[in-house]
Amino acid sequence: MKKNHIGTVENIQEINKNVYSIEFSSPTLEKISAGEYVSILCDGLTLRRPFSVANFENNTTTVLFKKRGGGTEYISNLKIGDKIEFSAPLGNTFTIENKKTLLIGAGIGVAPLFYLEKKLNEIGAETFFAAGFLSESDIIEHDFDFVSTDDGSNGNKGSICDYLEQIIEEFKPEKIVSCAPHPVLKFVAQTAQKHKIPCEVAMEKVMACGIGVCRGCVISLKKDGKTQNATVCKDGPVFNGEEVVW
Amino acid sequence: MVDLSLKIKDFDLKNPIITASGTYGYNNEFDDFCEVNKLGAVVTKGITLEPRLGNEGERIFETYGGMINRIGLENVGIQAFLDEKLPVLQKCNINFILNIAGNTVEDYIKLAKIAQENDIKAIELNVSCPNVKCGCIEFGVNKQALYELVSIVRKNYDNCLIVKLSPNVTSAEDLATAVQSAGADAVSAINTVRGMGVKLDFINGGFKKTTVSGGLSGKAIKPVALSFIDRISKVIDIPIIAIGGICTLADVLEFFSVGAKAVQIGTANFTHPDIAEKLINDLEKFMLENNFSTLDDLQKKIQKS
Ligand SMILES: Cc1cc2nc3c(=O)[nH]c(=O)nc-3n(C[C@H](O)[C@H](O)[C@H](O)COP(=O)(O)OP(=O)(O)OC[C@H]3O[C@@H](n4cnc5c(N)ncnc54)[C@H](O)[C@@H]3O)c2cc1C
Ligand SMILES: Cc1cc2nc3c(=O)[nH]c(=O)nc-3n(C[C@H](O)[C@H](O)[C@H](O)COP(=O)(O)O)c2cc1C
Ligand code: FES
Repeated sequence: MKKNHIGTVENIQEINKNVYSIEFSSPTLEKISAGEYVSILCDGLTLRRPFSVANFENNTTTVLFKKRGGGTEYISNLKIGDKIEFSAPLGNTFTIENKKTLLIGAGIGVAPLFYLEKKLNEIGAETFFAAGFLSESDIIEHDFDFVSTDDGSNGNKGSICDYLEQIIEEFKPEKIVSCAPHPVLKFVAQTAQKHKIPCEVAMEKVMACGIGVCRGCVISLKKDGKTQNATVCKDGPVFNGEEVVW
Repeated sequence: MVDLSLKIKDFDLKNPIITASGTYGYNNEFDDFCEVNKLGAVVTKGITLEPRLGNEGERIFETYGGMINRIGLENVGIQAFLDEKLPVLQKCNINFILNIAGNTVEDYIKLAKIAQENDIKAIELNVSCPNVKCGCIEFGVNKQALYELVSIVRKNYDNCLIVKLSPNVTSAEDLATAVQSAGADAVSAINTVRGMGVKLDFINGGFKKTTVSGGLSGKAIKPVALSFIDRISKVIDIPIIAIGGICTLADVLEFFSVGAKAVQIGTANFTHPDIAEKLINDLEKFMLENNFSTLDDLQKKIQKS
């Protein structure tokens, strides 16, 4: 299967200030799994920009993204009917297993967890989705089980990390999956380890090739007592939280 | 029918489109995007005697029309290359050039001998990696050191020997001449241009500065490469393989016009992972439509322009 696709924008919306939802269809992309990502060609830029898949059905991919720089600015200006060139599917996947799973998302990190939650629920796995945002206006609409905001403008006040112990205590997960800014991920992985709960984390790094060849996106893993390099783009973005050298 | 093939010493290439070291992996990694065995050749990631983990910290920084990298030559080392990567190249029928890098003359000699023993048809010496400390950069900037290095590698390697030059030098002509006198079969140029990216964030009333210093590549360096090749082609006769920001057929033809016989595609593979195959098709179509039957015809005609 070839991995370069030309899609058509089916829908694009600013869902919150500077946060967009874009849907694009492509006849050549038939399947993409939760955890895998797409990398979008942005006019005038050298490097494609990686985005997690928030949903996929009928050859149509949904991406939720936050405007940060030139690439996301370009994508945010696309209109329905515009062409969009991207590589997909890239990266590895979350493990889909019938386990009581706690999903921890912070900010735009909730995006890949939407698709994962759907896949887990399809196989009958029980999920609890906890999400943290800076403020009420940043909340991405979804049927979350728990919400915190740093300023307390909606839901529980504080960082999602402040509530992790309590949520684990009450939900008693067999597994934790998280996508969030680095400090949150680290905290979640270390807390999971303390409770001896398996934990998968979705990591981010600036990428060039997206297929493991340029070695631009490596992180360190410790496996069997040895430290080794792993690429976020191909070996990841999903890693066993216990193996990541934080 | 048009004939896109060329020969550098005894090394046959189906066409002049080659993919550049460090941007295409070791063998068939781009198969999901390109028919890799249709390429003139793939230059492998730079290989050292021992495996290398590369640099700590951020390794990539996008800039206007390009990117800066400071990978630090992360690679599997020659033994793993022979055991794991070479069999795939052979099985998939991929024409390749082994790119090698060393810290000492001894390293290069050993690597050249290993290449010879394994009957590897072409090697490219990286004497100019800008982001390995105390490393090979010294050879690439000093004409005497470069002459000695290439001469001794030549003694240990009989097949096609290509030397890759750095643009971060004062006299391109002197270095190219040294490489030719030392017996190299071809020169490739340019490696990345030394550069630095700075990102300033203004947070809570203070500045947070992030910098990435390394090698600049991509469209932005094309004029540097054109000038470099234009200058060296006036002083050497061995074939020149052009590298630097090549993305389109027009770029390829421009490099032919200043004396290149073949080209390497680097950073553009990241922007358009199917670019190498597309360039072969574009070149073939151009030649067909304009009645050039061989690459040599085309290059001679362009060079007269
Ligand atoms: C596997 C993966 C999945 C991702 N999924 C999503 C997603 O679903 N939604 C979303 O909004 N963002 C996601 N990102 C981050 C997204 O790729 C970056 O926000 C985007 O590349 C920024 O591009 P830009 O040109 O707008 O900004 P730039 O001008 O390139 O950079 C702006 C800022 O973003 C940072 N940045 C740039 N590229 C990346 C990157 N690849 N990863 C992390 N930070 C980066 C820069 O350091 C800088 O601080 C993901 C990243 C990865 C690696
Ligand atoms: C990520 C990256 C890694 C590279 N690694 C190597 C390497 O290992 N050995 C080498 O000789 N050149 C290496 N290069 C340099 C390229 O082969 C090429 O000379 C340079 O990028 C200029 O070409 P371009 O503008 O088409 O990219 C690397 C370049 C990039 C962008
Ligand atoms: S982006 Fe090239 S190895 Fe990950």
